[in-house]
Amino acid sequence: MAERVAIVAAAQTKYHPDRSDVTEGELAYEAIEKVLQETGLTYADDGTGIDSSVTCSQDFWDGRTMSNLNIISYDGSHLSCEDKIAEDSTNAVYCAFGQILSGQHDIVLVVSHCKESQAEKSIIENAAFDPIFMRLLGFDFLTANALQATRYMYKYGVTAEQFAKVAVKNRGNAKNNPFAQEPMDITVGDVLRSKMLVDPIRLLDTKPTSDGACAMILAREEKARKLTAKPVWISGVSNCYETHYLGDRDLADCDALVSAARRAYDMAGITDPLREIDVAEISEEYSYQELLWMEGLGFCGRGEAGKLIDAGVTQMGGQLPVNPSGGMLSGNPTVVAGMARVAEAAQQLRGEAGDRQVPGAGVALTHGVTGFCGQHQCVVVLSNK
Amino acid sequence: MAQEPSQEYIHVAYTMSRPYRWSAGKYLSKLYKEMRDSKKLVTNRCPKCKELLWPPQMVCGRCKVRAGDDWVELSDKGTVAGYTYLVYPLWDPHAGKRVGEDHPYATILLDDGMYMVSRLEEQDKEKLKVGMRVQAVWREEGRGRGLDEDILYFRTIEQ
Repeated sequence: MAERVAIVAAAQTKYHPDRSDVTEGELAYEAIEKVLQETGLTYADDGTGIDSSVTCSQDFWDGRTMSNLNIISYDGSHLSCEDKIAEDSTNAVYCAFGQILSGQHDIVLVVSHCKESQAEKSIIENAAFDPIFMRLLGFDFLTANALQATRYMYKYGVTAEQFAKVAVKNRGNAKNNPFAQEPMDITVGDVLRSKMLVDPIRLLDTKPTSDGACAMILAREEKARKLTAKPVWISGVSNCYETHYLGDRDLADCDALVSAARRAYDMAGITDPLREIDVAEISEEYSYQELLWMEGLGFCGRGEAGKLIDAGVTQMGGQLPVNPSGGMLSGNPTVVAGMARVAEAAQQLRGEAGDRQVPGAGVALTHGVTGFCGQHQCVVVLSNK
Repeated sequence: MAQEPSQEYIHVAYTMSRPYRWSAGKYLSKLYKEMRDSKKLVTNRCPKCKELLWPPQMVCGRCKVRAGDDWVELSDKGTVAGYTYLVYPLWDPHAGKRVGEDHPYATILLDDGMYMVSRLEEQDKEKLKVGMRVQAVWREEGRGRGLDEDILYFRTIEQ
């Protein structure tokens, strides 16, 4: 790669079940204002300021067919340059990265927002199923993901107890994250006794309804070095689509994630992810997903992630801590979740992650997912060198 | 070659209610409450460009700075800047169906300098003119559900 792109600032709101006190734009601005203040940047297209905004939001969640309209006064895009991404926000980071490498822009603001409190999750998710072939099943992501979880358990012998260990670890990690919505001291027994939603997924295997926003500023190397003493470089990135139809794949596998990870690792020069990555932030909306995605990301062989959680490899202090932030399970809105992972990893690589800091972290893996059963997967590798 | 049999194409029908409850936030909520409780239009002023924002909001999109709480009461009088007649029914978002609307729609330049889109009471095409003076007619019992609920339409006035 001829030129490098860095994250020069990143900020999140505290995640909350119901931010009725703010509109989507006002919520986003809480994060935007922090990165503007940290960098001292304003908006300008003459090379001195932010010259493009990439926003990330979803029309069905926001209830309008141009969900970026909610925040145009807040993200600098009024009478300026703006693009919207409607998938998980890791893809917005990817887009901004591309805008800079293309030579078109120098400094790009990336913003994601979602207020899950304003809509009916199950109905919004049902609209993600193609209307002619699958939607009339009435599925939402919870039901589709339960099918994936059961198939994963059957094919590889992964257990509900191992899923529960993910929930316990992540909700416990969240106690060290001031932005987390639901830090909890829970046991495997608490998870296994929590309300059954759709077998095998129980209440504590899922994330709560959440409102929040995340903002970051990306810059080309020359600008980045002037804006911060601690740039966090995007060293590898890729994404990949699965087949849409649930009947057209084995749900126990995640081939799209394997492809996305392979390309991102190739770009970052990573050949042994478990050894070379110091910290991982993975989008696990359901506890089973952290294990399945770890396999897709090549941290272990297929069906072996249960053994890693049993051995404590992914806990704080383990060989590869996964989700020191508490992850999605501790409360992130959909759409925003991936950027929350990237923002958390950036704090780790700057050594600014406070009580959740992984000592000496130099390379971080972040991951975002869009849709049911891992429909669309995005992988972003970060480095502080 | 045999003739292609006539094709039947299937259409899958789908109807789904998709409810939302959007928060108007602090700034629009203040406007809506003033409308509901006092039949007044209010908005806030940008501290940098000193322009009135419309609708009221937390950040001035032009100056890209926090707008703050410099609230101003607005006149509910204005001048018609353009108007149109409805030729087909519009959506009533509360009823979820199309409804007829007898009143012409107009862009009205309020006396404080911002444009509002609303209805006109006058239905006689011969009497409608760009430049005519109008004033808001308020619903007797304010509902607090937004601009177009609490202002019924604008009525022609002498000045």
